[in-house]
Amino acid sequence: MGTNWKKMADNASSRSHIYGLLAAVFREEPSAALVEELRSPQMKEVFGEMDIKLGQGFHSASALLVADVLAEEFTRLFLGPGRHISAHESIFAEVDGDSGSLWGATTVDVKKFIEATGLAYDPEYTGIPDHVSVEFEFMQRMSAWEADQWRQKHRGRAEYCADVQRRFLDRHLLRWLPQFMDAVITEATVPFYRSMAELSKNFVLLERASFVEEAAA
Amino acid sequence: MSKINRRKFMKLAAVSGALATGTGASQTALAGSIKLEEGGRGFSPSTRKELKAIPTACWQCVTRDAAIGYVEDGRLKKLEGNPNSIRTLGKLCARGQAGVNQVYFPDRILYPMKRIGKRGEHKWKRISWDEALDTIAARLKPLRDAGTPELFMYQYGRHKASQAATMYDFMAAYGTKTIGNHTSVCEAAKWVGQESLWGGMYDNWDYDKTDFVVNFGSNQFETHTNHIPTAQRLIRAMVDRGVPLYTFDVRLSNTAAKSTRWLPIKPGTDGLVALAMVNVIMNEDLYRKDHFKYMRVTEDHHASVDEKIAAVKANVAKFTPEYAAQRSTVPADAIREIARGFAKANSACLVSYRGAVMHYHGADSERAMMLLAAVTNNLDRAGGRVMGVGASWNHPKSKPARVSKSLHINDGFPGEAAYPTHHVSHRVFDMIKDGHEGRPQVYWWSCYNPTYINGDNDRVAEIFKDEKLMPFLITSTITYDESSSLADIILPDVTYPERWDWEDMVSANQIAEYYIRQPLIKPLGEARCQGDVWADLAKRIGFELAWSSKEDFVRQSCEMTPGVKEAGGFEYMKKHGVWHDPDAKPNYGFFEAKADVSGDTVILDKQTGVYWDYKKAGVSKSEAESKGYLGVKGAKSAYVAQDIEGTPRRAYPPNTAFTKSGLLDFYSDNFKVKGFPAFPTYTPIPEHEKMGSDDMIMTTYKTAVHTHSRTAHCKWLVEMKHDNPAWINTQTAAARGIKNGDAIRVKSDVGEFATTAYVTEGIIPGVIAVSHSLGRKYSGVFASGKSNPMNGGAEADPDVKNIWWDTHGTHPNTAIPNWSDPISGTQRWMDTVVRVAKA
Repeated sequence: MGTNWKKMADNASSRSHIYGLLAAVFREEPSAALVEELRSPQMKEVFGEMDIKLGQGFHSASALLVADVLAEEFTRLFLGPGRHISAHESIFAEVDGDSGSLWGATTVDVKKFIEATGLAYDPEYTGIPDHVSVEFEFMQRMSAWEADQWRQKHRGRAEYCADVQRRFLDRHLLRWLPQFMDAVITEATVPFYRSMAELSKNFVLLERASFVEEAAA
Repeated sequence: MSKINRRKFMKLAAVSGALATGTGASQTALAGSIKLEEGGRGFSPSTRKELKAIPTACWQCVTRDAAIGYVEDGRLKKLEGNPNSIRTLGKLCARGQAGVNQVYFPDRILYPMKRIGKRGEHKWKRISWDEALDTIAARLKPLRDAGTPELFMYQYGRHKASQAATMYDFMAAYGTKTIGNHTSVCEAAKWVGQESLWGGMYDNWDYDKTDFVVNFGSNQFETHTNHIPTAQRLIRAMVDRGVPLYTFDVRLSNTAAKSTRWLPIKPGTDGLVALAMVNVIMNEDLYRKDHFKYMRVTEDHHASVDEKIAAVKANVAKFTPEYAAQRSTVPADAIREIARGFAKANSACLVSYRGAVMHYHGADSERAMMLLAAVTNNLDRAGGRVMGVGASWNHPKSKPARVSKSLHINDGFPGEAAYPTHHVSHRVFDMIKDGHEGRPQVYWWSCYNPTYINGDNDRVAEIFKDEKLMPFLITSTITYDESSSLADIILPDVTYPERWDWEDMVSANQIAEYYIRQPLIKPLGEARCQGDVWADLAKRIGFELAWSSKEDFVRQSCEMTPGVKEAGGFEYMKKHGVWHDPDAKPNYGFFEAKADVSGDTVILDKQTGVYWDYKKAGVSKSEAESKGYLGVKGAKSAYVAQDIEGTPRRAYPPNTAFTKSGLLDFYSDNFKVKGFPAFPTYTPIPEHEKMGSDDMIMTTYKTAVHTHSRTAHCKWLVEMKHDNPAWINTQTAAARGIKNGDAIRVKSDVGEFATTAYVTEGIIPGVIAVSHSLGRKYSGVFASGKSNPMNGGAEADPDVKNIWWDTHGTHPNTAIPNWSDPISGTQRWMDTVVRVAKA
């Protein structure tokens, strides 16, 4: 009996990989290289087991063509011009009566939260601090750090890091992500983004359930 | 998407690792590295401004954890642990966090007071500090000038580190050695037992590396001398490495409840069970020979290891598990199982504390525990019971007085205790009443409550009230309590968040930590730090100290102490609060260090195998050789090394009151010469052998949120625990017609008290247990329901209206005799025979 350090580290590391995948998918239009990675045999097998449908053409057409199609969809869904779904927490979550605007009070909260952990926004990053991909990337970095602490058997730091992630999920991601992803599922015309939205929503809800279980234990 | 579950996500994670590391997105949004801080900063919940964080140290109990106080606009808002402390790793217990209550509790004494009217009439007049100190100086100066400084007695409950050092420095400069402490009511028996073996006391347990823990009578998870540093490490050992913990205790304490197994045990039989475990280990050849060469177990200092093994076997032969089971109620098969586990583990810790030692012959019980650790080679090595390591501060020293004397009233009556190396403080007042050894003319106490904390405390109070026995009483205190209410002068002390100190409590990882306490806020009212008072008082009496204030004492100490000085001295310590040598190695196995015996005046004593310096001992070579090491008075101070199988090694130097070789003196001439068994043994408690069928044994204990007498006025703590019903076993209660919650009376030969019954399976039959800390006559409205009779602030605290409890507990000391272990002089808290009946 005792702590299974490797298992704890592997769990955190796995979570980090998923968040990293989601950050990559929602950061920008997928490149041909990313498309190739996503339709590798291993990924295809797993997507198949999970009943994740990326569309007939995703696996058969050339990677360049797929990337073009996805770029058009990405722009229509998330960038505009015209009606689109803004992938920012401040659009969806209300703080102090403030919502529906870019760079709102929520954006400031997210930025302060992330910076309080020691991270900073890359000077080359031109987006807004509370973009969905940034929140995914933050969770990716935190869970990777947590995994590292478990590997070094620093229980206190690992648990504290897990606690910070829990708080970020409760205060931020979970407050808006399901609603955002539901909008994507409704509006997407290309199966890829519909499926990625379903995957994201399910994963984050599973995260919440896991944290609740751990707290009860 | 119906086939989503955690397992599927893990598969996805496994194949998406490359994407996640950055090849997926062309650019990352976040940079830098994560630095999560576990404490060290605080923010106001209302203004969101960062609070001023000032490192300091706790004083709620003797553990004295490094802490951080958070201050806003001159007010202390909260206390937390210092995350940079290698001792406490940033933790602070409930008592520590409630230290804020010490500063602001409404009945706090803030001005010097002079008694008007009779003692106990509660009539006071506020005076100035000048008048107070002039009055005191007018009493102390004539005693000093007349060459009778010993007629000034000072006694403390809790003084440590620089609080003690400044006091002792003043007393040495004044000339009195009549200084009392409280150790006999704490755990003196443990220290005497250890001192007779390995010298200077204060054991520690290397939980970070241990594989097995056996605990006799310690409630470490709630309260212990080194509670926070050790408890968290023990818990981590159990959770992270699956280390088992076996706890022997009369009741199901929280420590026992969290243990792998609780072994209920009859009071006074812990040493017997330890000896039975030695019996199993020796007879099943599970012992380890390694430490035997450092042990003396027969009269012969030069016995071979095989002879020693045979001798230990012979000495414990009688103490079979069955013999122990019959007397202790611990099952014989449990004794065997635990003994085998202890011996077979790579390393093991043997823990013992008040439950095991505050008994008749408690010091010998401790020697039995040490024997168990020694025969399994679990002494002073990684993972075992180790000798504690604490900071060693250099500090300024004042010129000692020309005349320095002591009244002999600190060590009990003649013949009462054979080795009262930590005094017999609970008998001071009986000695004063008796008068044969003299009586102090001035008695000053601090951080102490003698008429509350001693046994038979009502009788102690009567002695206090008698001006013929105790002519002049001074106290430095923050509370109006059972004792300060009888003083002639009350000096308002600062609380610990308001003062300077350097600190030195034992490390839990065998690396010394240096840390300080500093004022977080300006002292309230006219409270003054005792260290500052000494300097002022000295001038009024007519001598100077080498320091002008406590702050000056701490500053000088920081600049005088190697390591601290180089790190940045006083300024560094003020900023960081803690320091340790980053290159220090954990202190294990010092006993194996080879020693240099090449000095010209160093000789080898044939009888004991001790290398000693006869010149340092003040004798000639011929005298040294003819009388031998044991025959020359003071030779032990000239000890150099012990011959261990032909090699001089440091071993266990005799650096205490015990004269011995460098071997662990399990066979003790010191004990033998005083008529006690030379080898650890089991001696039944005489009163328990004469118990009638209706008699019970009463024990006491402490709880997680209180100390003995200094926390009952802390409202957050007393809200959590304000009652202390008597624990009584279900069968025992039923036999007396007592149900849970019934009012009962507990009566002994010296007194009685009323309480309520807590009927439970969590205590062994025939024993009743009542905790300390409550049943206060005074000490403020939160503790006792009664406000300080002087002008002042109970009404000013809005929380007075929020007191929802109407019980204040009971004080068991009225029925506990003031009596001593004949070996160490320790107060026999756990031996009282009582009769319990429904009220």
